[in-house]
Amino acid sequence: MDVIETSALGKRYRGKWALKDCTLSIPGGHIVALVGPNGAGKTTMLSMAVGLTRPTEGTVTVVGGAPAGSPQALMRIAFVAQDAPLYRNLPVADMLHLARNLNRRWDQGRALDRLETLEIPLSQRVGDLSGGQKAQLALTIALARRPGLLVLDEPLASLDPVAREDFLAAVVAAAEQDGVSVVLSSHVLAELERVATYLVVLTRGQVRLAGTVRELLASHGAGLEEIALRYLRAGVSSVSRTEGAA
Amino acid sequence: MISSTPTARPVAAPRPRPVAWTRLAWVTQRQRRGAIIGTSIVFGLFAVYLLVMAIIQNNAYAAVQACHPAAALKCQSLANTFYRDYWGSGAGRVIQGGGAQTVSSLMFALPVLLGAFVGAPLLAREYETGTFRFAWTQGAGRGRWAVSTLVLPAAALTAAAGAFTALFYWYFRPFLADNQVSEMLPLAFALLGVAFAAWTLFAFALSAFFGTLFRRTLPAIAVTLVVYIALAIGTATAIRPHYMTPVTVSGWNGGVAPVWVISSYAKSPTGQILGQGDMNSIVSHLPASVQNSQNPNAFNDWLTQHGYTLWQTVQPDSRFWPFQLIEGGWLLAVSAVLIGATVWMVRRRGA
Repeated sequence: MDVIETSALGKRYRGKWALKDCTLSIPGGHIVALVGPNGAGKTTMLSMAVGLTRPTEGTVTVVGGAPAGSPQALMRIAFVAQDAPLYRNLPVADMLHLARNLNRRWDQGRALDRLETLEIPLSQRVGDLSGGQKAQLALTIALARRPGLLVLDEPLASLDPVAREDFLAAVVAAAEQDGVSVVLSSHVLAELERVATYLVVLTRGQVRLAGTVRELLASHGAGLEEIALRYLRAGVSSVSRTEGAA
Repeated sequence: MISSTPTARPVAAPRPRPVAWTRLAWVTQRQRRGAIIGTSIVFGLFAVYLLVMAIIQNNAYAAVQACHPAAALKCQSLANTFYRDYWGSGAGRVIQGGGAQTVSSLMFALPVLLGAFVGAPLLAREYETGTFRFAWTQGAGRGRWAVSTLVLPAAALTAAAGAFTALFYWYFRPFLADNQVSEMLPLAFALLGVAFAAWTLFAFALSAFFGTLFRRTLPAIAVTLVVYIALAIGTATAIRPHYMTPVTVSGWNGGVAPVWVISSYAKSPTGQILGQGDMNSIVSHLPASVQNSQNPNAFNDWLTQHGYTLWQTVQPDSRFWPFQLIEGGWLLAVSAVLIGATVWMVRRRGA
């Protein structure tokens, strides 16, 4: 079962293509690192996958063929946007209750256990939590929905090094315990290198490389970072060539 | 909205049952707690003032009505004191510089202030803080979330405004009862009946619409104020007089029933309608006995004696409820369209 499948997917903002002709099948059961420089189209692709943004052209389906944004898709995908937006004025307990009321599937016991382990008090206002705690709360809410696919957009960008480690460990643990597929985006591959089992490299709105880490390492005979860098560079030069020809 | 034709695309799972409206209602009331408290305070304080003043005012007016015979000097004096004190021209003893005139002026601002305060942030704050990315990716779906977010506050605010109108009517009754003020006059009409609640709903829907269009709260409030004020003035001056064909009556005083005078004009003995220039010319050639007369009707009497006829087009008070229903009806329709358009924008627009 593919967790994200795109076909000739494209998105244009004010005449500029943020993502163009993107065809991709990401199989389930992986921790997927979606890597590319800032402005490569990572957020655009994820936004379309979770149904926030409509494609300009092409299609995207998720968790086994459900059109992105459809009720089936919404029920089975949990998304944490960049900077983990949550209602800052609510206490943690009310934030949980709000999320519970917005979803049919909800594991309250699991959410409470996680928060207890993380020592996040239920009475605390979300706005008063530290960056790391806020990211963990967003992850807790996402996991309480018991999703088939967890999508995290730049989850580590605003976290300090300790919080990054903790967050990644929590994601890996969830992937192992629940069998949830995970897609994380980052502009720094090094952050995700240790946990990723599948790599997608995106530059200038185009997919340059996609495959399981194991296969990539075997076929390229180089370190993951070196492979990614090669494709990031290739993406840049191929685009400049196209632009030169146009 | 749900297509009954089978789609070509294989669907992984059957369409899940939607999240119950009662759960969405909880979400909406929790998210809007600030607006609920703020609105309650504004309505509450104003209501307490109206309640206290209504009791005092109605008691004072009962004394005016109980005075017999009404034409007696002491009764006239009592009535004059009542209007001076409670209608308020600034000289009142009971409320310095206040009174029903001031209160009713403030009332005109209430629908747009409350409507914009509650409506503009509904979606604009979600955009400003980025939380729409959370709200719209939950299992409930953004369409249902938007309907709950818009319809519940709309209903609550409209109901509160409707209840408030009833209280205001009780407060304002002495002035209406004595034909001091026609209910049809612009200064009263929009504060009575269903119009007040309808204008509040309209302001809410308008600001929610602009909040979604601009994705910013303050510009939405600013544009709402401008559009609302323009439409409120335009309605009172240009639209409302035409809900029904005005009644044409002869004579300056238009009979005994209170009316809203739309226009007035005089006709010459030959049946020509006199313009302002003609009237000025007549006034400047009036005999001194009429010009200096103490009788306020002297001019009218003189005109009548000399074959001039005086006409007015009016909307009589008997049309109060038909006019209320017409105004309430079109405001409700426009509000429904605005709320529908807002839900549509949430459903259709990308992030």
